[in-house]
Amino acid sequence: MIELKNITKIYDLNINNKVTALNDINLKFNEGELIVLKGSSGSGKSTILSLVAALSKPTMGEVIVDNKRISKLPDNFASLYRRENIGFIFQKYNLIPTLSVKENILLPLVPNNPNEDECNSKLNIVLEQFNISNKKDTIVKNLSGGEQQRVAISRALINNPKIIIADEPTANLDEKLSLDFIDMLRQLKSQNKTIVVATHDPLFFNLDFVDKVIEIKNGNII
Amino acid sequence: MLKINLHLIEYAINSLLRSKTKSIFITTIFTLLVFLLTSIFFISNSIKYELNSTVDSLPQIIVQNIKGGKSYDIKTNIVDDIINIPGVSDAIPRVWGYYFFENAGVNFSLVGINSYETQYKNSFNELIENYDLEEDSMIVGSGVKKLLEQNYYKNYFNFIKPDGDFKKLNIGGTFNGDTQLESNDLIIMSIENAREIFDMSKSKATDISVKVDNPIEIPMISSKIKSMYPNTRVITNSDLKVSYQNIFDYKSGIFLALFAICLFTFFIIIYDKSSGLSSEEKKEIGILKAIGWTVDDVLKEKFVEGAIVSIFAYLLGVIFAFIFVYILQAPILRNIFEGYSILRTTFELPFVLDLQTLSLVFFLSVPVYIAATIIPSWRTATLDADEVIR
Repeated sequence: MIELKNITKIYDLNINNKVTALNDINLKFNEGELIVLKGSSGSGKSTILSLVAALSKPTMGEVIVDNKRISKLPDNFASLYRRENIGFIFQKYNLIPTLSVKENILLPLVPNNPNEDECNSKLNIVLEQFNISNKKDTIVKNLSGGEQQRVAISRALINNPKIIIADEPTANLDEKLSLDFIDMLRQLKSQNKTIVVATHDPLFFNLDFVDKVIEIKNGNII
Repeated sequence: MLKINLHLIEYAINSLLRSKTKSIFITTIFTLLVFLLTSIFFISNSIKYELNSTVDSLPQIIVQNIKGGKSYDIKTNIVDDIINIPGVSDAIPRVWGYYFFENAGVNFSLVGINSYETQYKNSFNELIENYDLEEDSMIVGSGVKKLLEQNYYKNYFNFIKPDGDFKKLNIGGTFNGDTQLESNDLIIMSIENAREIFDMSKSKATDISVKVDNPIEIPMISSKIKSMYPNTRVITNSDLKVSYQNIFDYKSGIFLALFAICLFTFFIIIYDKSSGLSSEEKKEIGILKAIGWTVDDVLKEKFVEGAIVSIFAYLLGVIFAFIFVYILQAPILRNIFEGYSILRTTFELPFVLDLQTLSLVFFLSVPVYIAATIIPSWRTATLDADEVIR
């Protein structure tokens, strides 16, 4: 379902400073799988996630999702692809701190201009699923780290995406909240979602429902 | 069918409210600039309108007696010769002049008229029909009346004649002239009284007003008069228009300078705004892109933000300018135009609706501001979302 073919990604920091984040890697993930990408900071895990989410383009190689070359998509089509297929959970949540929980969660729906009923029904589903109904109107910056992450997950799932991508999802959580997050992943996997998690948190490495653990080091698969 | 995206508008409004201080600051500056620009245009349009009305109500040709370039009283016996020029319908000797009212520090225009003759101005004919101009009375413009009352002359006024004696005239009536400028400094009295105040003999007049049936013939008739009486100065109403226009244009220069300062300030703000976004603003655009907003969606949202601020500030600025100019009569700014020809009593700025002016200010401000909002956002939105968020 998701295929990375001969991917090389080089970041041009400036004329004399180029960083090779990924070096000719090949990966294949099937539908409904949960894949854990492990590796230290700067190993290239997050770059793989960015490429799968069409947030950036590879310097060389191709990213194919459902037989579509998403690495070749023009910018606006890449956005539409993300809107319809991807739920991205960022390490630092990337919420808009001055908006309420409800406003943050509904943000991905705004361009589609849905009617109020559709908004409310989708909103209520995720609010209840992640147990944040009582915080619906709270401004996000006033929430705890765990609550903010639940808002970020709710936002990622509001469009019911096929692919869920999580970048260091437990980096800012304590152990209990991390275990809660893992539980949530288990639920999502049972709904046949394809999940790719980049982490260096050992909690993820021996989970019984993880299909693959792939180690990345210096832009190469080990 | 095009459906308005209310969610996008709501998001744009929320976005403005989130940066409340910045939004209020920009709206205030924007409003102030629109207010200044519009006020300048409103004032200059009103005064231009007043001047044009004044000039239009002046005689078609005026003949003055000139000695060494200076104007003196003219002999009235040349009137018959002028009337005999083909194309001339009437020639009326005028007795008028300025009277300096020291207490108020202003000049009044005194005009002597003969009630039994046709006047050189239609408004004077109407005045004679409506008011009885008795031997010891005068009719004053509403502005003059106000000024005299302020100086305790409620029913009469004592003019000081050149020999030092007083000439007492009762106020027989008050009128509103063709224009505000006129009604505010004009006093009409019998021609005999005017001659007495100016110490002018019966065989003389201040000048001669000439009426021409066909306005196209004005230049030709004026040159004929000039050739018949080489010691006269013949002034046509188009000459007067040019002279008034020159004075107005000089004053407009000051307004132009103000206008330039306003525009300059506006463009500095625009330059500052268009030169970049804060890191928070950039990150927000990155987040929106990452969750599936297209570049078009981001630009639409920024367009709505810019439009809300600029249209709101524009309307506010125009309303304030309207109140300032037409209700408060433009305190401070109007002083620039006072004394545009001679010392004048006060006059009211007439309301002149000029859609061209409003459109000009709109197109100078609103689209420029919207563009300045969109361009930096477009720059950020077209980068890789990944690069912006990091």
